[in-house]
Amino acid sequence: MTQEVDPITLQVIGGALHSIADQMGTVLYRMSYSSIIRESQDLGAGLFDRDYNTLCESDSTPMHIGSLPGYLRGIEKSIPLDQWQPGDVVIHNHPYFGASHSPDIAIVMPVFFEGELVGFSANTAHHIDIGAATPGLIMDIPDVYAEGMLLNGIKLFEAGKRNDTMWKYIRDNTRVPSQVMNDLEAQIASAELGVARFQQLMEKYGKATVLRATHQLMDYTESMLRREIAKIPDGEYVAEGFLDDDGRNRGVTLPLKVTVRVAGDAVEVDLTGSSAQVPTAYNVPFEGSTKVACFFAFRALLLDTYTHSEYIPQNEGSFRPVKVTAPLGSIFNPIAPAAAEARFAQIQRIVDLIIKALAPVLPDKCTAGNAAVLSFAAYSGVRESGDYWVFLEVNEAAMGGRPQSDGPDTIEELMRNTRNNPLEDLGMHLPLICDRYEVRDDAPPGAGKFRGGAGVVKSQRFLSAGYMTHEADRHEDVPWGVFGGKPGAGGKVEIRNVHTGDVSLEPAKFSGKLTRAGDVISYFSPCGGGYGDPLERDPDKVLDDVLDGFITHEHARDDYGVVLEEVDDGYGWKLDLNGTRKLRAQMGAQ
Amino acid sequence: MIRVGVDVGGTFTDIILERSDAGGEQSVVVTKVSSTPHDQSEGVVQGILNVCEMAGVEPGAIDAVFHGTTVATNLVIERGGARVGMITTRGFRDIMHMGRHKRPHNFSLQFDVPWQSKPLVKRRDRLVVTERILPPDGRIEVPLAEDEVKQAAELFAKRGMDAVIIGFLFSFLNDEHEQRAKEIVSSVLPDTYVCCSSEVVNSIREYERFSSTAMNAYIGPKTSAYLRKLEGRLRAAGVGGIIRIMQSNGGITTVEKSSELPIGLLMSGPAGGVIGGRWTGDNCGKSNIITIDIGGTSADIGVIQDGDLRIKNPRDTEVGLLPVLVPMIDIDAIGAGGGSIAYLDPGGAFRVGPRSAGAVPGPACYGKGGTEPTVTDAQVVLGRLDPEQFLGGDIKIDAALSETAIRDHIAGPLGLSLDDAALGILKIVNNNMALAINANSMAKGVDPRNFTLMGFGGAGPLHAVSLAEAIHAKDIISPVQPGITAATGLLVTDLQYEYTHPLLMVLDNASDADFKTVNDALDGLMEQAHQQLDADGIPREARRFQRIAECRYVGQGFELRAAMPDGTVDAGNARTIIDSFYDEHKKIYGHAFRDQACELITLRLVATVAVETLALPELAHGGRENPDEARLYSRRTVFDDGQAHDTPRYQREKLLAGDRVSGPAVVIQHNSTTIVPPGYVAQVMRFGDILIGRN
Repeated sequence: MTQEVDPITLQVIGGALHSIADQMGTVLYRMSYSSIIRESQDLGAGLFDRDYNTLCESDSTPMHIGSLPGYLRGIEKSIPLDQWQPGDVVIHNHPYFGASHSPDIAIVMPVFFEGELVGFSANTAHHIDIGAATPGLIMDIPDVYAEGMLLNGIKLFEAGKRNDTMWKYIRDNTRVPSQVMNDLEAQIASAELGVARFQQLMEKYGKATVLRATHQLMDYTESMLRREIAKIPDGEYVAEGFLDDDGRNRGVTLPLKVTVRVAGDAVEVDLTGSSAQVPTAYNVPFEGSTKVACFFAFRALLLDTYTHSEYIPQNEGSFRPVKVTAPLGSIFNPIAPAAAEARFAQIQRIVDLIIKALAPVLPDKCTAGNAAVLSFAAYSGVRESGDYWVFLEVNEAAMGGRPQSDGPDTIEELMRNTRNNPLEDLGMHLPLICDRYEVRDDAPPGAGKFRGGAGVVKSQRFLSAGYMTHEADRHEDVPWGVFGGKPGAGGKVEIRNVHTGDVSLEPAKFSGKLTRAGDVISYFSPCGGGYGDPLERDPDKVLDDVLDGFITHEHARDDYGVVLEEVDDGYGWKLDLNGTRKLRAQMGAQ
Repeated sequence: MIRVGVDVGGTFTDIILERSDAGGEQSVVVTKVSSTPHDQSEGVVQGILNVCEMAGVEPGAIDAVFHGTTVATNLVIERGGARVGMITTRGFRDIMHMGRHKRPHNFSLQFDVPWQSKPLVKRRDRLVVTERILPPDGRIEVPLAEDEVKQAAELFAKRGMDAVIIGFLFSFLNDEHEQRAKEIVSSVLPDTYVCCSSEVVNSIREYERFSSTAMNAYIGPKTSAYLRKLEGRLRAAGVGGIIRIMQSNGGITTVEKSSELPIGLLMSGPAGGVIGGRWTGDNCGKSNIITIDIGGTSADIGVIQDGDLRIKNPRDTEVGLLPVLVPMIDIDAIGAGGGSIAYLDPGGAFRVGPRSAGAVPGPACYGKGGTEPTVTDAQVVLGRLDPEQFLGGDIKIDAALSETAIRDHIAGPLGLSLDDAALGILKIVNNNMALAINANSMAKGVDPRNFTLMGFGGAGPLHAVSLAEAIHAKDIISPVQPGITAATGLLVTDLQYEYTHPLLMVLDNASDADFKTVNDALDGLMEQAHQQLDADGIPREARRFQRIAECRYVGQGFELRAAMPDGTVDAGNARTIIDSFYDEHKKIYGHAFRDQACELITLRLVATVAVETLALPELAHGGRENPDEARLYSRRTVFDDGQAHDTPRYQREKLLAGDRVSGPAVVIQHNSTTIVPPGYVAQVMRFGDILIGRN
């Protein structure tokens, strides 16, 4: 019978773990070279015990949070627990051995204390190129081997000694070695910090106390989530949607089906009924991505950090009440050697469909349809020197309207939370120039008592010829409105050449497209759906949206029943309250 | 010479007056008045008049007033600033709406996005004009459409904007378009506050530059109005002398300069504390200090290393989640203080803060209606704060109310004794503070074992020893006037101006032409600095300059500050910059590279002028052990190990230099209490500061 750690020491150790993870994340992005890590912060870092439980994770990108235990379990297939030595550094990215997807390379170091393996310090970061079939990102490829280097539990350092052969192999197999190798150095520095701080914590409080405390903290987080799940009426909640295509077979949509089964204080997400696995890279690794998305959905819905004042530790406890089922051979649980690199748009949709399924029973916690997508663009080319340049850009989208507030515009939603690249920073280093980065104005956000968020438009111009791969979705299945709210808008991609004037509309996904100098690629993200009846929206807010140019005065009239009159005050419009009352009464009667 | 420092806090305005006579006689008088949040200048003037009366001096005899203000910060936090219009590059109207597109919460669906819900410039007031400057050299691809600028200015005139900013992409490479647009706007709106992004912060990264510029304009009109009003009130009250304002970078500046660049005042409030801490350290012969200024709701943490204030990495400087690209002293604030509330959350976890009882209702012991236990209540229950001594008896407190609150909310539900529950409250709040100190020290390469922990603000010396133990600090200082340390800092600050020039140049293989660019840029910065100092009437020999090279490895995104050699930079001495950068990188990240090229991103020149520093009268020498003359009485006090001791109280004003007091002991003064636990000894320094160390 182990003794409980007292509540005071428990808070002290919990705080220390949180701060360690935070510092690991900071060292990683501050020191790194590629913009996807240093600017976008597409990374995760944390500490784990011998059973691969997450003890703490940096508050960086949700996609990475919760993915590392999968990596650790995958590594065990190559390196059993008894084969770790102090000073080892393991590199791993195999999607069929727990990795989130192959570009997210993990660096793992064992933590020894008093001669015994007690856990792991680990991080993941998105690398800009691992030598795949096309530079940076991939879509239309035959199998997992076309994803590039597959590193399956390899010791990059053994007992503190660097494996120079392996180091050279990696350097020789990426298009941008200087960035990738230095980013790996930053990952190692971050992992070393975690090892040292974890050891210090055990020196101070004793190993047994620290480990007991970590279990209590996990139990605490678990109980907080279970309390909230228990409040949802038992039952089966279903939502469906579809994806545009698999990036090769155009016009063939892929069904999505999410069934949420609530029973007491536990929940199951069953993805049965969703598409079979596809022949391109548009599949989702089950352990490292599908499950992580389901964990995220319940944490964000039920333990929303904005509406909860208490800090709830980020650990394994939040995963335990959530069971995830996806049939083997489906898009969410593919069978090797199917490629599974381009998985983000799909997992965004899992989260959004979970929200949709539960909206009727969680009206105060849900959102209307979010953009629930990811525009991931790989721009690349070969410089005159013969060296490659590769740039990965994440374009934001928008959220659906919410119970108390509009959906945020132009924002990283759901599983992603990266930072954009300063346009001026890009311009200094790349043969690419941004011509437009604004709120989307060709389609209004979904009308509602609380409107959806407005999407983004970003236009990048190639200054010299190059290549481009684009991973996105949701041109077809438009974000929905809830409780009387209107749907938002689908996305679109347009390529226009400034020299020839040629314009073409492109599908959301394309691979290794050759681009010419002067090609401007414009991405228009989806706009979020509305929440509640637009006729109930505060007319002042509708006026604000017209003055701010988020919507037109015609849209205000037709969808919100708000009548405006022209006025010469420098802004152009003011409310006609009488007219609005009449029009709303008339529209409400219909 | 009579100098006055005024530090405005949320609850109190602290005033210190220093008089030095020609004969070398010196005296210091301090007081405090209630702050007047609706117009801080009222409290400031009242406080100055009070302190003059106490010191027996005429307001007209004051030579200089030094002021730390939270006016600018409050404008941002309360969103009470100006109506600002923006003219920007066509195609980029919404840079400030998107920010860095990262949401402020990972695990949330209902979060707020302050830069969208409470923008500094509304979208309707962001107008675009045709123009295009291209990287990497700043050439003009599309000339500025001057007619569009004029139309925009006319529209802003019609709309009656308070301020207009110009923010064009790549203006850090070439500010020609911004300057021309500013001329046009100023000709249409001659009385409106107009500023360009390249004037406010001349650096790469459009969102941070535009937002900083918008912030400057947002707080500009009201901040300068406040400073003018303060000046007017002081003059009307007969206060003479010059007026100087504390800046975020830890230097003081003139009212004119603050009005021009008010964005430099966002840390004006807390900066005084860290500087006061440095000065106190000097007086005690300590140059490595971690300061913690503990108030009612929050605590400010600062680090002084080798006697230098640490400046925050510009990538971390923000106010209210909005970036502010100006140098700021590295100060972290956390929501933990005397008023922090202890409670059990729905999951049964024991929490302290960040919720605070504030001044109203205040801690339970105030008897003003607060029933939840606070950190102050825990101090009372443990016998560390004597009810009748609280603020010299100015505030009546009731220990029984503290006991009830802790028993009902913590001890009872957790099955703990009253003492253990109160100790738990302190342990948790101290741990929160210790983690914040670690994040601001250890995480940045500072080893607290070589540092002195200095706790001030009224509650600082109550926590200082416990915090020092938690972070393994070497020893502890309780300043002579813990409640007034921040105001003291105002009297010991240098005049300071900063100038920057963006470069982007790889140092390892720089050519002679490159070095000429560097040296020309440095000359340009020196010229700007001299012009300003000439205007201030500062003699040449009093001017001091520090040159800093902000560098990174080629391809990195974050710069670190490297030291520069004296005189002209050339291929011979450029190595010293590279080595300094290597050392800094190693210190901050634990790793550095010899095989990577070092890129110089920004040159920075810091111009300072030393002001006459504050001189405190020395205490008479006592040299006594546990002097009976200073002893008040003994009372039960519980220390962190859970042991209760009958603990003597000493009156601080009766302690003399060289006196030693062994723990357990409690040292009491009007607005502060210093705890000396068993195993520690407190030593009175020559100016009355107390140095506490392990026995």
